[in-house]
Amino acid sequence: MKKLYVVAALLSLVGLADALYLTIEHVTGQSVRCTIISGCSAVLSSPYAVVAGIPLAAVGAAAYFTVFSLAILTLFGYHSAAKLMGVMVFTMFGLSLWLIYLQAFVIREFCQYCLLSAAITAALLVVVLISRGLRR
Amino acid sequence: MKRILPFIIILVVLVVALGSAWYLTRTIPASPTLPSSSGSQPPGSQGSPVAQQQKPPVVQGVPGADPPHVLGPADAPIKIEEFGDFECPPCGIFHPILEQMHAEFGDKLQITFREFPLVPTHQHALAAASAAEAAGLQGKFWEMHDLIYEHQNAWKKEFDVRPIFEGYAKQIGLDVERYKRDMNGDLVAQRIFADGKRGHSLGVKGTPTVFMNGREVPFENLPAEKLRVVIQNELRSSGR
Repeated sequence: MKKLYVVAALLSLVGLADALYLTIEHVTGQSVRCTIISGCSAVLSSPYAVVAGIPLAAVGAAAYFTVFSLAILTLFGYHSAAKLMGVMVFTMFGLSLWLIYLQAFVIREFCQYCLLSAAITAALLVVVLISRGLRR
Repeated sequence: MKRILPFIIILVVLVVALGSAWYLTRTIPASPTLPSSSGSQPPGSQGSPVAQQQKPPVVQGVPGADPPHVLGPADAPIKIEEFGDFECPPCGIFHPILEQMHAEFGDKLQITFREFPLVPTHQHALAAASAAEAAGLQGKFWEMHDLIYEHQNAWKKEFDVRPIFEGYAKQIGLDVERYKRDMNGDLVAQRIFADGKRGHSLGVKGTPTVFMNGREVPFENLPAEKLRVVIQNELRSSGR
């Protein structure tokens, strides 16, 4: 059981690094040049990349940091954190699905770092579901 | 200790994350988003400094489409060659900047446009390049080039852009039937291919990529206030 939360903490660290990278890309505009291989410029420069003036990538970074914190707290015996972590991961997974939909059908460009984030969230969801299954 | 250990771990991760984000945003040169020419400060005034990087080497590459699309005199001391994609938003932002430089530096500047449609990324880029090249066969490349860039936001979300470009062809007085034939003709395709081949030989990976007297201008120096300084420096070093 404990191992699962170690995995969750590590996954959320990777997610945090990924989201931080995207935030920096967004803020500095490094990927704004159009390139053959990357659709990140189209995705990051789209109106969907900002919510209420805040880059969505920064919101993602904050979310991954929260999940990391909750996983660590659970590991150290703060069991109420596990519930909150489940809620966070479910919400993040739902949002990730929405973002994949936007990339596929609205922006019509894929950003590999955004897809990596979605994959990490999906893996986190699997971890949460397994941990819930084990608890029963 | 065990009670506070998780909080210490969380704090360490927070500090590392914020610290690295802060460090990276400071070291990566900001604002290559090509802030539009609204920043029309007088030359030499404050504003973000031009990225002082080591001068890249002069590159030759294979020849592109011949004759190229050129504005300005052949003996101009500053020769700018732009590889552009009509559907690429930063190229659309760069268009008025280059026009502004052309107006400011006049005969000291020669501008060459090379087609570099990013076909897998931009679905209409090839059609736009073909439209501009077909107009070029009737001597009106720049007129079409300007219209396509200026209305980028109007056509790039459309499903079928050809009728829109035909409208531009009419607007600039082209023989529309010939234009339609040329758009799908070999000559236009060969010109785009030749420019693409030249770009590839010069290591162009994205758009806009700009060369000045054979040296690549870093992307972060493309906003008007920085490009102006880059041109002035080059003029100074060439003694003109």
